[in-house]
Amino acid sequence: MAEAGRSLKPFYVLLGAIAVVGAVLIAAFGGGPSAPQLVAPDCQRPRPNAPPPKGVTIGPDSAKIEVTEFSDFECPWCARFAILTMPDIRQRLLPTGLVKWRYMNFPLDGHANSPVAHLAAACALEQGKFWEMHDALYMGQNDWAEERNPMRRFLGYAAHIGLNADSFRVCMTTKRPWPQIESDKCEGVRLGVGGTPTFFVNGHQLADIPVYDDLKKIVDSITAATAAAPARPAAGRKR
Amino acid sequence: MRHRMAVAVLALCGVLVSTYLLLYKLGVIGSMACGAANECERVQASRYSTFLGFPVAAYGVGGYLVLLGIALYGLSERRIAEPGPTRWLTALSALGVVFSLYLLALELFVIHAICRWCSVSGVLILAICAVSAGGLLRASRAPAP
Repeated sequence: MAEAGRSLKPFYVLLGAIAVVGAVLIAAFGGGPSAPQLVAPDCQRPRPNAPPPKGVTIGPDSAKIEVTEFSDFECPWCARFAILTMPDIRQRLLPTGLVKWRYMNFPLDGHANSPVAHLAAACALEQGKFWEMHDALYMGQNDWAEERNPMRRFLGYAAHIGLNADSFRVCMTTKRPWPQIESDKCEGVRLGVGGTPTFFVNGHQLADIPVYDDLKKIVDSITAATAAAPARPAAGRKR
Repeated sequence: MRHRMAVAVLALCGVLVSTYLLLYKLGVIGSMACGAANECERVQASRYSTFLGFPVAAYGVGGYLVLLGIALYGLSERRIAEPGPTRWLTALSALGVVFSLYLLALELFVIHAICRWCSVSGVLILAICAVSAGGLLRASRAPAP
């Protein structure tokens, strides 16, 4: 029982020291990479070296109908469209070969995490996985939209969809695709886009957010009109 | 007594490691120091990082706190000679080892990524189990007072 009589004070001091050192280490290693600082583009000023607006497309280049979607990853209505309508479009409309879909970045002012989300999607595009990141961002919008540092979530999404983590981190840190996002946004401003999501079909702006049936009707009517007058060129095509 | 002191130190380390994982899971910290492969984040982003609706790391924090509490309780002057705390430490840490093996199997065969900090936690719980079982063995061999 000599052991039992020994003072435990040094042992408790040791435990306290381990706890303090551990807390300090967690604070030191826990910061991690913060979200890159991004400044909203000033579309009124000339941007001489800016890349042309192009967005991200899906569907054949030969398609007679082009739908352009100006969208913001932090906008709830955009998420609603992406989750409820876009799967139908991908599964039922795009395989017909009649439609080419163009997603244009339009991060809205006042959505603090939206620019970083668009950058994350553009960095995923560099690895050929834009649409996977697009889906992850919209599906998880409620998780990251209000976060102080959304980078952690975006790194998680990148890992989950199988992106090369190092390349993704480098892309996010260097903000390499940001000029393209700025160009997309400025194209929207030029076209008078005031909110998201905004849709154009062959250059004609839709008045409302379409559901699948609306788009199907539009596609059917354009296809029928084109078949009836094959020599007439498609009107109002912008890109 | 020494084995309970060792368990207390190991359990405290376990609390720290699990807290680190939990803070990451809750979004309090930005990213984990986990090497270039980023496998910790992949494991933490998987659906297996929650169990029965709670983050797996939260079970780790809770489990290690319980072990730490039992070890400290067993070090008190009135309980130092009692075998009960060591029995509890052995039984609970054995459960922890089984749970850690289940998580390791998920990492190896389902997620295909190894989370280093989860592995550190696995080693800690294994060490706690071994130290506790050793203490129990020694107590059973010791002559009655």
